[in-house]
Amino acid sequence: MRLIGVDVGGTFTDLVYADTEAGQTGVHKISTTPDDPSRGVVAGLTALCDKYGIPRETIDTVFHGTTIATNAILEHDGAVTGMITTGGYRDILHIGRHQRPQHYSIMQDIPWQDRPLVKRRHRKTVTERLVPPRGEELEPLDEAGVRAAVRELKEAGVEAIAICFLFSYLDPAHEARAMEIVREEYPACFATTSSSVSPQFREFERFTTTAMNAFVGPKVRNYVTKLENDIERSGFKADLRIMASNGGVATPAMVAERPVLTLLSGPAAGVIGGDWAGGLSGKRNLITFDVGGTSADIGIVTDGGFGEATARDTWIAGFPVLVPMIDVHTIGAGGGSIAFVDQAGAFKVGPRSAGAVPGPAAYGRGGNRATVTDANVVLGRLDGKNFLGGGMSLDEVAARRVIGELARELGLSDREAAEGVVTVINANMANAIRSRTVQKGIDPRDYALVAFGGAGPLHGAEVADMLGVPEVIVPPHPGITSAVGLLISDLRYDAIRTSFQISGAADIARINADFAAMAKELAERFTADGIDLSNVTFERRGDLRYVGQGYELRVPFPDGPIDEAALARAFEAFHEVHKREYGHHFAESAIEIVNLRLVGAASAAEIAKPSVSGGASLDAARVRSGSCTFRVDGQLGDYPTDFYRRDLLPAGQTIAGPAIVLQMDTTTVIPPQHTFEADTAGNLIIRKI
Amino acid sequence: MSTAVRRQPAPKPDRIDPITTSVIQGALENIAIEMGYKLMRMSYSSIIRESEDFGAALVDAEGRGLAESAQSTPLQSGPIPGYVRGIQRILKERGDVIRPGDVIMHNDAYSGASHGPDVAFIVPVFVQGRLIAFAATTAHHLDIGALSPGSCGIVEAIDAYAEGLQFKAIKVYDRGVRNDAVWQIVRDNIRASDLVVGDMDAQVAAARIGAERMVELVERYGLETFEQACGALMDHAERLMRQAIAKLPDGVYRAETAIDGYLDSDDPNKKELPIVVTITKKDDSLVVDLTGTAPQVPDRPINMPLEGTADIAIWLTIRSVLLDTEVHGHIPVNAGLIRPITIVAPKGCLANPTFPAPTIARFCPGNQLADTVMKALSQAMPGNVSAGIGNLKVIAFSGLKDETHWVHMEIFEGSYGGRLGKDGMDAVDTLYANTRNNPIEDIETHLPLRVLRYELREDVAGAGKWRGGLGSVREFTFLSDGGASVEGEGHRYRPWGFLGGGEGMPAKLDLIQNGASRALPSKVPYMQIGKDGHFVCYGPAGGGYGNPFERDPAKVADDVLDGVITPETALRDYKVVVSAKGVIDEAATAKRRAARQ
Repeated sequence: MRLIGVDVGGTFTDLVYADTEAGQTGVHKISTTPDDPSRGVVAGLTALCDKYGIPRETIDTVFHGTTIATNAILEHDGAVTGMITTGGYRDILHIGRHQRPQHYSIMQDIPWQDRPLVKRRHRKTVTERLVPPRGEELEPLDEAGVRAAVRELKEAGVEAIAICFLFSYLDPAHEARAMEIVREEYPACFATTSSSVSPQFREFERFTTTAMNAFVGPKVRNYVTKLENDIERSGFKADLRIMASNGGVATPAMVAERPVLTLLSGPAAGVIGGDWAGGLSGKRNLITFDVGGTSADIGIVTDGGFGEATARDTWIAGFPVLVPMIDVHTIGAGGGSIAFVDQAGAFKVGPRSAGAVPGPAAYGRGGNRATVTDANVVLGRLDGKNFLGGGMSLDEVAARRVIGELARELGLSDREAAEGVVTVINANMANAIRSRTVQKGIDPRDYALVAFGGAGPLHGAEVADMLGVPEVIVPPHPGITSAVGLLISDLRYDAIRTSFQISGAADIARINADFAAMAKELAERFTADGIDLSNVTFERRGDLRYVGQGYELRVPFPDGPIDEAALARAFEAFHEVHKREYGHHFAESAIEIVNLRLVGAASAAEIAKPSVSGGASLDAARVRSGSCTFRVDGQLGDYPTDFYRRDLLPAGQTIAGPAIVLQMDTTTVIPPQHTFEADTAGNLIIRKI
Repeated sequence: MSTAVRRQPAPKPDRIDPITTSVIQGALENIAIEMGYKLMRMSYSSIIRESEDFGAALVDAEGRGLAESAQSTPLQSGPIPGYVRGIQRILKERGDVIRPGDVIMHNDAYSGASHGPDVAFIVPVFVQGRLIAFAATTAHHLDIGALSPGSCGIVEAIDAYAEGLQFKAIKVYDRGVRNDAVWQIVRDNIRASDLVVGDMDAQVAAARIGAERMVELVERYGLETFEQACGALMDHAERLMRQAIAKLPDGVYRAETAIDGYLDSDDPNKKELPIVVTITKKDDSLVVDLTGTAPQVPDRPINMPLEGTADIAIWLTIRSVLLDTEVHGHIPVNAGLIRPITIVAPKGCLANPTFPAPTIARFCPGNQLADTVMKALSQAMPGNVSAGIGNLKVIAFSGLKDETHWVHMEIFEGSYGGRLGKDGMDAVDTLYANTRNNPIEDIETHLPLRVLRYELREDVAGAGKWRGGLGSVREFTFLSDGGASVEGEGHRYRPWGFLGGGEGMPAKLDLIQNGASRALPSKVPYMQIGKDGHFVCYGPAGGGYGNPFERDPAKVADDVLDGVITPETALRDYKVVVSAKGVIDEAATAKRRAARQ
């Protein structure tokens, strides 16, 4: 198999090539074309093939990570969207949960009120009503009302329609019928139903997710269609796969129908890539630590599996979004994070970032605020002449100037201030990791930290120290770990049914029927994608809670027919997860099965491990010797530090820190009291002495 | 489990460095957030886990707040330091001491608690045998053993004893040993006790986690560094507030509003009661004087504990106006923020009652006090306030199913007044409350209730250059026989308009039973309601900001298109001539508006 992964970032589009049989790999980088990212994608694909002499038509699959949908939401630049909803509930999207985003603010904006996905004038109501527990019909669907609503919306210039009825997760028939009418009346319109996008309870969140699907729908559909055509027209015969938030990829057809699945896909590929890199060195428990210019993305991989975010924790641009998503925690901490003293004298770093433009002062593009990157320059950790493999030089004078200004405000020396910037940003990142580990009953000391992205390897070792994490892994190409993650992502689809079954009185026949219906749904999906079902693995899960609780925890469900014994195992698993997650469980309490889930995954090809030749000797790898500032045992000091070229490091040799390892896409810092080695799998491994 | 890598003790500094302070600040907030997260997720009652009517905070040994959970509602986390000072005072009077392993339950509204249903569980933090801090959680419990089901709508309690159980610094764990007798008393004297005790267990678990994490933090940095950092971060918050106050012109700013009280009462001392706020600003300090506020109502529970309700309403509002998160970014919440503010409230007034005056229904009067504080501040900072807010309402629905009580408390949202450059926020909780509603799909699945409507209330917002926020309309029907009680405000008085803006619209509540509809006052004690009994709850609409004739006609047309106002209202209130299709007749509009100048 010949595969290419294309990850479109804000500044660069990264490409990774792998030939799974020949064991060859290659990488390429090209500027992103923000006005139409598909141009950069196609240009990158052809350039990569030319670079390595690969005939274009021999590429089997192109894996693509796109932020088209994400940007449409962040910039609130989507289709004119209409909604058809149950009579009496026109303003669910507007009232939300009646909570203000900020406690202490009069002047705040409320995203769903100030930037509505569907304006009130485009929210039409029709008579229909289902009721629990099974979706019994209280009021039949007023089909003439639907027809009239569609006509009005069409006349009003609406380009996309979300069909959102109460309790539709219990029975999608009314929504499905309304969808047929929309198709009859306005076939060109992008239409979507809440029961197909996310058939689970909580109407505000489900309706919002559905409205979001419609809002980004036309744009994503056009993009995907154009990209497929352009790739084909350039001589490729490859299948296109697009990254979804759930840590898998989907077909263009699936994404065109449910673009909302891609909303939070950016960080997902990083977790997969980090997991892959950790696996090269035989590590199964990993904290993935992807740090760029503005943010740090943190993921947890336990025993080779990644966590999924709970439905109530997934947000974009202030809107809730109910889609299956890898549990990635993002905080505003990166190389561009701005350090400042607030008006009352407190010292803060981030979350604001200097971004790529103007960027840190050291970039010499007019930045005049002290950033984390500037601090690293002053500490001697970033080499102005060897930044990004010499591809960019750093303005050390400017970095010293802005850090010096900060130091005077703080009443500290330049060195102390610079080290303080790094300590505070590291502490912020360590707190974020604590919230995903210690606070959820996971002991980070049993994990390795995989540090990547442009800034992850600069901070990984010190952050690991704060958490007691014994080992840091820096992947072979830290800057393109996400693109690698794309290559190895499964084709992965989720199905869900809201159930509301209580232990002791569970309707087992219904549970089995739900799993069977979901299996059928996914099988049809995979078959439509041309996937042989024998290559698909299915996993069952349930979202459970104690009766009365409002937050569910996800537990595995056994395969095969569900009987009392199988249910008992699931309930036992729930008690354990609850105990681990919250430090407490209630053994006597009844348990409610809220949702049943089925995940189907068609496994991706294995890509070859990188072949590591390694350099001949340490001396050959040494670029120069210099001096770097570190805080050791509470004391700030300057330490003689060797700078090495990563590609020339001899494999398998343990080297004492402090040291700086240089490579094209990042800089790795090894503080004093640490050792490191370039292992034979291609990773750098840093350990605390 | 301690995962911290222990640092070498730093050399003794004269003053703490800003870097360590920043790191410790972040760690404290992280702990408080973890406590809140766990409590919210473990708890059973919708009032805690959906409405988020709970608090979590860390407090130093002297009862000064250090950090609070970001998720919790301000009226829950804010009072926690007062709860801690309350138990310290009571235990001292009793000759008791706080020991490692103690967990202390407290809800005494005359010793720091916000009101009886908001029960705190307080865990002391010991390092090297010394009491250095407290980790505490509060939560609004479904029932506290009052005279009728639920813990809202107990509007006819005649004194503190009628409000339910009073816990005055009770050790539910004494040196780690569970006091089973106390727990049994609790179980035997409250309705829906499985839920309530389950929530209390969750509170204890969350508070204990906070205490453990604090020990780890102090051990990581050393007690001396920790205490210096706490001092520095409180000083920092104080400076922030003082700087913000200093920017206001010196002066005296007085405002008055009124609460409904008991509109159907014959007793004039129980209804239409004034709330008066006089803020004196000098240099970098504020004095907030409530003199002129109505006397306490000795036998009805709308009195506001000074410590736990009135103080929170005042601080919250000052802080939201002077240090608005939207303008200033995240501001750490600790005791330093309130140092520049002195509160004066005559003993025996509605905002400083004397025991045993009942207080359980103080929620809405307290929010009206917050609104009055904003009205006073509007004179000093007109660009940072909203016009009058619409107040809130709680309905406690209840019934019996198989000899077990079900109780469901739903908070009905208000709305904000218009703001400089922005219309008011529509259909949200206001000022010191920031809870969440319950999904209709959750309510109907779990309770014999049906929600028949949830929409914006049309055509009643306060007119203004920036109009008031819209209220909501929500309808509930009983699917089986049950009962309900109502605790609300804002049926009598219209939210105030500002700088020429029109007044908003009061709330109203109709009950339809057996084909007849009747309007209810804002407070109704427990009443039986038969199957098909049906509430229609109209939320209040906020006041307008600025002259409505200066409102951009395009925004008026948008409101017409969105069905928020009618073309007739556009003409009457805004002098904009606009068709139902949103087409503006600009010439006619200009003429109409000119005629008004």
